[in-house]
Amino acid sequence: MSKKECVAMLLAGGQGSRLGVLTSKVAKPAVSFGGKYRIIDFVLSNCANSGINTVGVLTQYRPYLLHEYLGTGEAWNLDERDGGVAILPPFATQTGGSWYAGTADAITQNLGYLESQDAEYILILSGDQLYRMDYEDMLATHKANNADLTVAVMPVPWEDASRFGIMNCADDGRIEEFVEKPAEPKSNLASMGIYIFNAKLLIDTLKEDDKDPNSTHDFGGDIIPKLLADGKRLFTYQFKAYWRDVGTVASFHEANMELLGSEPAFDLFAQDAPIMSNSSTRPPAYVGPKGSVDDSLVDNGCAIMGTVEHSVISAEVYVGKNAIVKDSILFPGAIVEDGAVVINAIMAERSVVKAGAHFGSADEETVTLGDDAVVEKGE
Amino acid sequence: MPKAIGLITCNYTTASKDDVFSGRPVASMPYLGRYRLVDFALSNMVNAGIRNVGMIMPNNYRSLVDHVGSGKDWDLDRKNGGLFIMPGTAFGTSRTGARFLIRDLVQNREFFTKNNEKYVVLSTANFICSVDIKGLIAKHEESGANITVLCKRASCDGNIDVVTFDVEDGRVKSMNQGVKFNQLAFLDYAVIERELLLELIDSFAAVDHLDLFEALNSEYGRFRVMVAEFDRYMKPIFDKDSYFKANMDLLDEDVLTEFANGYPIKTKAHDNPPAKYEPGCKVSNALIASGDRIYGSVQSSVLGRNVIVEPGASVRNSVLMQGVIVKAGAKIENAIIDKNNVVPAGTELRGTDGDILYLKKN
Repeated sequence: MSKKECVAMLLAGGQGSRLGVLTSKVAKPAVSFGGKYRIIDFVLSNCANSGINTVGVLTQYRPYLLHEYLGTGEAWNLDERDGGVAILPPFATQTGGSWYAGTADAITQNLGYLESQDAEYILILSGDQLYRMDYEDMLATHKANNADLTVAVMPVPWEDASRFGIMNCADDGRIEEFVEKPAEPKSNLASMGIYIFNAKLLIDTLKEDDKDPNSTHDFGGDIIPKLLADGKRLFTYQFKAYWRDVGTVASFHEANMELLGSEPAFDLFAQDAPIMSNSSTRPPAYVGPKGSVDDSLVDNGCAIMGTVEHSVISAEVYVGKNAIVKDSILFPGAIVEDGAVVINAIMAERSVVKAGAHFGSADEETVTLGDDAVVEKGE
Repeated sequence: MPKAIGLITCNYTTASKDDVFSGRPVASMPYLGRYRLVDFALSNMVNAGIRNVGMIMPNNYRSLVDHVGSGKDWDLDRKNGGLFIMPGTAFGTSRTGARFLIRDLVQNREFFTKNNEKYVVLSTANFICSVDIKGLIAKHEESGANITVLCKRASCDGNIDVVTFDVEDGRVKSMNQGVKFNQLAFLDYAVIERELLLELIDSFAAVDHLDLFEALNSEYGRFRVMVAEFDRYMKPIFDKDSYFKANMDLLDEDVLTEFANGYPIKTKAHDNPPAKYEPGCKVSNALIASGDRIYGSVQSSVLGRNVIVEPGASVRNSVLMQGVIVKAGAKIENAIIDKNNVVPAGTELRGTDGDILYLKKN
């Protein structure tokens, strides 16, 4: 195998437990988003658009749908002979085997894969974030700083800073201190969980960390503090565009709504870095004679016989006659039967709101309906 | 194990002088927002488990090859079999009439000898229909016919391009060009044993300027050619009006459901975002493909991928192919707007019910 400049390791094993029923059957990176995508599409598209052709995807929690969706990586132009997508679930060895115990441990358990790739740099990514980034630009910054590790950061509102891992830096961007969720933050630059390491340093550090009985094997908690203590050159890469970590139902709902409107916060239509996805081919969406759609995204294969307002509608959704869908997100195959009303709700795949039933309301928190779940009238 | 290989002929044109077909083979004519006509023949074969399909190409094959590529989107990128792009004889798409030209079959004889499947399924690309080819082969085996042809009784006088058969007790006596009300119109799908096709190719080599079914006119007494009748939605596309109608027909929930769910039609995948309906837009009775952005109003129309309808613009009773931009305040009615046209702000393009306006490809 030829020497590669940069390979990506994509952490996609998380459950996303705060998303409740939305992740009861699928891993968070495989959750439907934006009418046509799954969350992992954004990071995989970033890799493809940044010229990174080798991506190891670390999976663990409920991986079937995710594995099926990734396939050979072909949908993101990642099906290359000398590279491509490698799916990396936990595995057994002669001395046993174990679940991934932390973000760093997941990489440590796959050092064999990483060493076989023989790359100069390793890019660590999370499979559950929404943003467009040119990793090539981040790598150029890493090289220009002659850094050992570069951490992507973004400014967050000061009042929120105590919820993030905060980097305190010198004027040249060199990281002097890293504080996880500081009570009194000295900076508002939050770590995005996106790292570029010099490969040899990462591999050596992980091997050492593996032997440390006191380590929790976490990048933020263990690896970065250790490298700082060792006096390594750690730098930030400042990112100022749209970035969301959709951890909760509320933030997931909000991020979908941010795709709407005449000037959306995140523009799916930007031509320079298209978001790619592994979607099936369906006929165009049908809006019926009495149907109407306003301020929404609607994917192929839908039939809209009722009213849809300010919503995100995925493929093969059916909205029946006289039904109303408002401020909601419908995953692929969801059905809103005739006369039903769905407001401020998230309906997961193939879920059904029966004829005349009501689900959700504008005055309460966003409600969620799991995969294949059904809401009967009068419930 | 599939029992058949498929052959789709794409190198002919229609007798129609409508320029909607000029400059591109019928097979790569865009349809219903995101398909090309050849998707139907390809999908019908693939849905029946056929994984070995030859396409006889016209001389202007660029759009067709761009569309089918390696055949991946139809699961035809196989190690054995798969999609075969084959040369047509040098008539380009100027040739009308014969769609299974014997010369084309002779030239590509090798395709029929390189495999062991028992049957060959023949097709063209002009008919919008979801055909159960497995069922057609089963009928063929049941009847013990030499050839089985798929037909539908014509609901009106039809196009000169459509072939009809005179039939007695389900058996073909002769073939004719052109279709009249209630005649059995040939949907250009046929099942034939591979060995028999090879025999016919060899014995008809001297009359290779004829269509296979035309050449059989003197032989229908010797060969049992049986009719299988088709009873689902079907639309032949041989001129502008039938093309327009075939798009409009799908603005009906029942027809669309049959189309979408019966035997799925596969096509080239694209990375378009979902269609975006902007605040204040008005859309009813319309088919809207992914990548569209609608600010204005769209009624009783079919919009292809990546179409933009700007604020104040209106589109009524029309077919817009991919990439069309309707600028602010422009009005389009009873029209077919071909690919990538920009309709300038404030302009009006109006056809009538009986005379659909056509704006050619930009």
